[in-house]
Amino acid sequence: MSTLVWMQTGACSGDTMSLLTADGPSLENLTGSGDIEVLWHPSLTDGTTGYFGRLVENIENGSQQLDILCVEGSLITGPYGTGMFDSYRHRPKIDIVRSLAERARYVIAVGTCSAFGGIPAAPPNPTDCTGLQYDRETAGGLLGDEWRSSSGLPVINLAGCPTHPLTITRTLAIVARGLPLDLDFLNRPKAFYGSMVHQGCTRNEYHEYDIEDNQLGGRGCMYFNLGCQGPNTLANCNSELWNNRSSKTRAGVPCFGCTSPNFPKDGDLFKTEKLGAIPVSLPLGVSRSHYMAYKNLAKAAAPQRVKDREMEP
Amino acid sequence: MANVTLDIDLNRVEGDLEFQVELDGNKVVDARCIGTMFRGFEQLLIDRAPTDSLVITPRICGICGTAHLYTATLALERMAQLPVPAHATLIRNLCLMAENVQSDLRQHFLFFAPDLLNARYASHPMFDELTLAYRPLQGEEVRSAMQASRKLLEIVAIFGGQWPHSSYMTPGGVTRGANSRDIVDCQDIVDNTIRWYEQVVIGDTLDNWLSLADAASFDAWLDDAKHAKSAIGKLTQFCRDQSIHLSGGGANYFMSAGAHYDIRTWQPPYGPQYTLLPAGVYNGNSGINEAFDPALINEHVRHSWYRPYDGGLHPYQGETVPDYDTNGDRYTWAKAPRYGNKVIETGPLAELLAGEDALTRALLARDGANTLLRQLARLRRAGVLLSLMKKTLQDLAVEMSSPHYQAPPAGSLDNGEGFGFVQAARGTLGHWVQVQDGKISRYQVITPTAWNASPKDTQGVHGHWEESVIGLELADLNNPIEIGHVIRSHDPCLVCTVHFAGRSQRLRIGA
Repeated sequence: MSTLVWMQTGACSGDTMSLLTADGPSLENLTGSGDIEVLWHPSLTDGTTGYFGRLVENIENGSQQLDILCVEGSLITGPYGTGMFDSYRHRPKIDIVRSLAERARYVIAVGTCSAFGGIPAAPPNPTDCTGLQYDRETAGGLLGDEWRSSSGLPVINLAGCPTHPLTITRTLAIVARGLPLDLDFLNRPKAFYGSMVHQGCTRNEYHEYDIEDNQLGGRGCMYFNLGCQGPNTLANCNSELWNNRSSKTRAGVPCFGCTSPNFPKDGDLFKTEKLGAIPVSLPLGVSRSHYMAYKNLAKAAAPQRVKDREMEP
Repeated sequence: MANVTLDIDLNRVEGDLEFQVELDGNKVVDARCIGTMFRGFEQLLIDRAPTDSLVITPRICGICGTAHLYTATLALERMAQLPVPAHATLIRNLCLMAENVQSDLRQHFLFFAPDLLNARYASHPMFDELTLAYRPLQGEEVRSAMQASRKLLEIVAIFGGQWPHSSYMTPGGVTRGANSRDIVDCQDIVDNTIRWYEQVVIGDTLDNWLSLADAASFDAWLDDAKHAKSAIGKLTQFCRDQSIHLSGGGANYFMSAGAHYDIRTWQPPYGPQYTLLPAGVYNGNSGINEAFDPALINEHVRHSWYRPYDGGLHPYQGETVPDYDTNGDRYTWAKAPRYGNKVIETGPLAELLAGEDALTRALLARDGANTLLRQLARLRRAGVLLSLMKKTLQDLAVEMSSPHYQAPPAGSLDNGEGFGFVQAARGTLGHWVQVQDGKISRYQVITPTAWNASPKDTQGVHGHWEESVIGLELADLNNPIEIGHVIRSHDPCLVCTVHFAGRSQRLRIGA
């Protein structure tokens, strides 16, 4: 049985809503099976007024063991470094997070806000917020680059706005059961961030033959004109469908790259920045000259049924 | 004479909430809702492309992102006077209905009902039955509600790709139209949810429950053993036993912008709100439903930490300049929205009162606004929406061969101003946008909770929640569950505009 505290800092509750949406495993199954005991979740647990304060005290004085600390929301350091824009009973939340992180075996950043800062950290960052170990693309953040939890791991970054439901509950199950968890270059579990959003997108045939849409509402690929970042974003959106049903790109919504540290990007989110006819951000690891040659050939090879957008995404 | 100040933090709301109340003996004589977090979302939108609001504003709130997306889209469509295809309006309505029902179910079974297991009630004869049903994460009804709500959200994923946080509504329509397969899939989900609602929430058929039209028939309905064992039966019996139905009145003016747009009438010039459930400001004293006029909305900052201005400002003139100073009598980061000079309650109760639901109006006339009625209205609204979802799917089957998207003319979103409203799960949500040279120059959002949780205004009149807890008698100052019932019956969503936290902080910045 692993004990869990879930804190919300500068959060919208989207990751909590995502958590409630997971059904394989579901939160109620993880708690019902005895894998996880939720000591505190602001929306879901019992506990009357002042309970959270007493729990924090008990964790700090060692009388309550804490195995997993989940943090949802950006870490607000304003105004003027005091953190008092977001507090619990006179105490800045960032101070509570720092203290509990020292005592937890694992610290999990649930969502891009606690991983990298997310939308609230976008310019002009009105609340001076940051992620736990990253400030957007710069390593460091609230806890610092070198920080490790008592398990030896850095903060486990479950990036996403929100995090994919199954990524949350599966990671909790993996950690609670002591199964191995390999992390990538941004400390995201490779198991869930090891493929491109593009992989499994049902518009791939359009992408393959360079049949690109200029406006929303169509069937074609959205990468060249409509801001889609699927080919250069690592996430499982199209390999593990959302809500058992679909993904944004399948439904005609561009990928906004929400698992990346620079989310949301500057500039129009529904427009692709281009150099000549080719996007500035190419598919991960692809060279410009090769890509141009490939696209020219691909377009020439496009079958009529794809050119005519007959294929259902 | 007030002699004690009590600070109360509340969980099981969306976001953190603390209340400061002044007590005379055990009676609440004054109350302050203290928002201590400035989130600055409106600032994040300045200088961005107009349609970036479709990505940024849903992230204001994880539980009602579809509502923000819909509202942001409407504001841009009104600004550019874009026509919207009926096909798109039906998909938008369907998705918002799914999101609202999801939220209503989670509010009751996950946030409100666990309070009935408070230590205060341990010797109540219903305690064991309620524990079996409502134990957090494990109660039988809790688990089945979790399953029903997550299943219902698949409807949003079918059209939007995912829930929460997608951007599938866009000026001129939606990104993906419906096909026959979608109709079959959605119908199956709705049918299953209705069956669950009939078994767990009402113990009756949906049609029979929705046909109840007066207070006496409701009381008679409760006498049937099957109805009495339903979630609504248990709730009503317990609340009446504990006099919870006598608490939590408040403003007594109920605002709804009207719920779910009518495809026959919702087109430029977008004048009055043409909706399936009518708009209105329902006067609880007179029983008159006054016309809803968006021009009357204004926000005060007299008791908020913003650069002071006189009276109230309409959102098009609104300004949000932080000015933190705790020496005076200002106490919150929340602004005080007012309708004319009226304090307003919004939410499912308001939606059904303005929306001409006979039973809700009859219960208000007999019992006055109260905690139980608010909770009943929320569960009833879920039933009303499930019934509307069936109708919407029938209409969608007719419209699905027409276009789902009509691209805005080039340049149409580059300059102008517009606003939009929807009825989100917690009540009236409004966005106001102004665009200059292709960039957002001002964006103002007034969320449902901003209305309900507002502080005092320029005239010193309390906000709705403050008013609704004043007069409460607290049986145990260490366990002020009475306040929990009243506030949670409003389904607070603090993440939307501010975080309520801390107490009467006396931090002075830069001094």
